[in-house]
Amino acid sequence: MNRSKRSARNLVRQVLCATLLYAVAAAVHAAPGAVVLPALTDPASGERHVGKVIWADLVTPDLDTAKHFYGALFGWTFRDVPGDPNYTLVLLDGEPLAGLFKKPLPSGPAAQPAWLTFLAVTDVNAAQAAAQQHGGKVLVKAHDYPQRGRQAVLADPDGAVFAVLAAKGGDPSDYLAAPGEWIWSSLLVKDPQRETAFYKTLFGYDVYDLASEGDPQHYVLSTDGFARAGLNALPADSMRRHPHWLNFVRVTDAVDTAKKAIGLGGRVLVAPRLDRHGGQLAVLADPSGAIFGVMEWSDTDTKQEPK
Amino acid sequence: MKRVSGSCKLGSLALLALVALAACVVGGYDGDVGVGYVGGFYEPGGYEYGGWGGGYRVGPPRGGERAVGGRGAPSIPHGARGGGGGGHGGGGHGR
Repeated sequence: MNRSKRSARNLVRQVLCATLLYAVAAAVHAAPGAVVLPALTDPASGERHVGKVIWADLVTPDLDTAKHFYGALFGWTFRDVPGDPNYTLVLLDGEPLAGLFKKPLPSGPAAQPAWLTFLAVTDVNAAQAAAQQHGGKVLVKAHDYPQRGRQAVLADPDGAVFAVLAAKGGDPSDYLAAPGEWIWSSLLVKDPQRETAFYKTLFGYDVYDLASEGDPQHYVLSTDGFARAGLNALPADSMRRHPHWLNFVRVTDAVDTAKKAIGLGGRVLVAPRLDRHGGQLAVLADPSGAIFGVMEWSDTDTKQEPK
Repeated sequence: MKRVSGSCKLGSLALLALVALAACVVGGYDGDVGVGYVGGFYEPGGYEYGGWGGGYRVGPPRGGERAVGGRGAPSIPHGARGGGGGGHGGGGHGR
């Protein structure tokens, strides 16, 4: 009898222990919701611009080096967010424009820090489902952040990684980016036909074909009557590069910025060159290897295409 | 008997702990763990960059440039912050 009482007590203890462990696990699992990220627009814009690039996150193993590099290069400042010491907001003139996310480099196959491009949607779940249905993948399932909204990380059929975000207070308005802000994004892929179809399905883009001699597969993805992003076939030696999104920060002098980047421990991957819009652009890498672009944009730039 | 009971208890707890921890792990591009902010990823490494020939262009059109089919390609928003996008065909991300 005593033995059966002891067994019953042990069973109760074990059930209580299990309940406690599950409670702890659930709390940890639910931790993403506890991270307080500010809304993209304050006050809420209430605007919706599906397909617009509205945010970017850098994932890097070294936050301090990233802060030093981007702070010195673009005048960005940084602010910690409650709930996660590994996530830092990037601000320009007090306005948030990006995030830095510290994450250890995974062991095993080579991995490269990168900027993650966020595209506006109104329904993250629908975007996830559509991506999967049309050859894409869900890399990080949808998560809610109380003030920011709902987001998920996806890969397109070519393997380029991007995120979708349904911003809670609405999307940022359309205006010309100031120096130091994101101004343009390009998607470089192996199969432009399949990729334009995929993105058109997800975001309802109006696609413009800008093919020309020497630049045979170049598309512009547009919504609301504005160019939202470019889509290019990877260069001829495309086997050297994984399909990817490339985000450009507006600068007043691409040559000067490239020199400065080198001095700060970065690298120049594509030297400053005149592009379609009449200004110079360059592709750089930060000290961790994350790739980004810089682009001049001036109302006084020539509108003639470069030869 | 007492020793066996203690071992069983320890074994049960270890198993439960393992199950509980396994429940925390969420799938990701390179194994994200659901603690704090979720969404970071690392791209595959080992690729070189470059190979952009002279005619390779990735920048946005300035507006009015003719796309295939004769349509005028739009540009980025060009309006000032707080003043609207500046009308269709203008410029930018705004962010």
